[in-house]
Amino acid sequence: MKAILNTGRTISQGVEVEHKGSPVYRAAVSVCYMNPVDLMDLGIEEGARVVLTSRAGSIVLTTWTAEGVNRGEVFVPLGPYANHIISAETHATGMPDFKGEPVEINPTEERVKDIGSVMEEIGGLWYDH
Amino acid sequence: MIIKDVVCPFCGCLCDDLEVEVDGQRVIRVQNGCALAESTFTGSNRLPAPIRRNAMGWEEISYDDAISDAADILLSADRPLLYGWSSTHGETQSCGVHIAELIGGVIDNTSTVCHGPSILAIQEVGHPGCTLGQVKNRADVIVYWGCNPAEAHPRHMSRYTTFATGFFVPEARHGRTVIVVDTRRTESAEIADEFIRIERGGDYEVLSALRAIVQGKSSIIPSEVAGVSREQLIRVSEICKKAKFGAIFFGLGLTMSAGKYKNVRNAIELTDELNRHTKFTISPLRGHSNVYGSNEVFTWITGYPYAVDFARGIAFYNPGETTAVDILQRGECDAALIVASDPGAHFPHSAAAHLAKIPTILIDPHQTATTPLCRLQIPCTMTGIDAEGTAYRMDGVPIRYKKIIESSYPDDAYLLRRIHDRIREVQGA
Repeated sequence: MKAILNTGRTISQGVEVEHKGSPVYRAAVSVCYMNPVDLMDLGIEEGARVVLTSRAGSIVLTTWTAEGVNRGEVFVPLGPYANHIISAETHATGMPDFKGEPVEINPTEERVKDIGSVMEEIGGLWYDH
Repeated sequence: MIIKDVVCPFCGCLCDDLEVEVDGQRVIRVQNGCALAESTFTGSNRLPAPIRRNAMGWEEISYDDAISDAADILLSADRPLLYGWSSTHGETQSCGVHIAELIGGVIDNTSTVCHGPSILAIQEVGHPGCTLGQVKNRADVIVYWGCNPAEAHPRHMSRYTTFATGFFVPEARHGRTVIVVDTRRTESAEIADEFIRIERGGDYEVLSALRAIVQGKSSIIPSEVAGVSREQLIRVSEICKKAKFGAIFFGLGLTMSAGKYKNVRNAIELTDELNRHTKFTISPLRGHSNVYGSNEVFTWITGYPYAVDFARGIAFYNPGETTAVDILQRGECDAALIVASDPGAHFPHSAAAHLAKIPTILIDPHQTATTPLCRLQIPCTMTGIDAEGTAYRMDGVPIRYKKIIESSYPDDAYLLRRIHDRIREVQGA
């Protein structure tokens, strides 16, 4: 299924934003909010996992039903998961398309990665004190 | 001990009416604050000591070594990028600009991925804004466009708009009409008297249609504009024209969607049209607590609010070229200093990945998603908790943060002053 990715603040993302290594933060930002009809079209139920693929990469997320999200759109809270698949193209404005990245969505059995693994994929080294 | 009138260092509302109970070096209770404030004050994810990445992994180092390393990295760089600056106080921001000038670097702040496009629009057509006190006491029509204050600025509606009792709006919610414009039916939309749901990317068209209607040209409007009916557009225009005082607040739904700064320009020009009928103002809902302050401080010193490049020996500003995401995406910078922000979490990863390829210094109280990408992290105080300083609220009002607990961490302004002085010493020699 093709969709447009929208990203933004949620209260649970904001509450956990200074605890980036915590499982609660990971759960808050690795969610893909979808219209229930789109979820039905994919043949999966809320809580199932999907892989979102864009021109910048792909990421596995957990689905969540959101009546407020339009069909053909998905909403992912801002954070390292959403940004893993948002292109850095700014069209010479300085601002990437954080609210308009075209994505392909497919059901998957793959697990949601932890944030350390996501950051290590782009050359980082997780620090655990 | 209970401390009153504490300023919250989370979002641009800078709520200054919190009551915080402190037990030694810990905050144990927060009153009057939202969920974001409570977690900010009671959080406990501070990095205990400076850390440096070497071939074997991470090692703890002393502050003196960390400061010396940071100065060496910046002195060795040909094209350093200094980024962040919005979750700290003005004194730190000022130090950052002076370092950028010393080393001929590029300095950018988080408005680059927030309301940078709003600044570009304001530079084109001006800013008919006002303070939040004016809105609280006068506004009988409130418009939230492309934003969700219920989740991003949880007390905005209760302190300044929808639910606030104002001098000329004594009935609070009953005296105010609230219009929410968004592509999603958010929690804020649920509170609205009028919810305009537009198709993604349709902001510019809907703003243009409203401008035409306010100008008296309703007959040229088609039956539907970007998913919004002509009837609703005319109804909303009438509500706005009949307002005694209207206030538009807009968010990243305008700055991050197709059209970007042109969307904001169109919203400002709609405000201009409405001022031919009544009093209307427009203002961005700023995200980071002191992002407005970073624009102010950068502008005082350099003349420009963000994306300032000192490579030519003078301040040069060209968003799209001198903005952090573009510089990282092009792989242009050969060192980075990140202060009080988390590009590892909030930049597209194809740009943030460059931070891991170059020596990146992070000055931040917390372990963040930028920590794994950096070569060196120096923990510091958290402004508004164990450091005082000046911040600017989203409407440009300066507010002084209180220091509510003592800690052993150094202030980030102190760290930067030492890095600055070390660079000057080496350059002088």
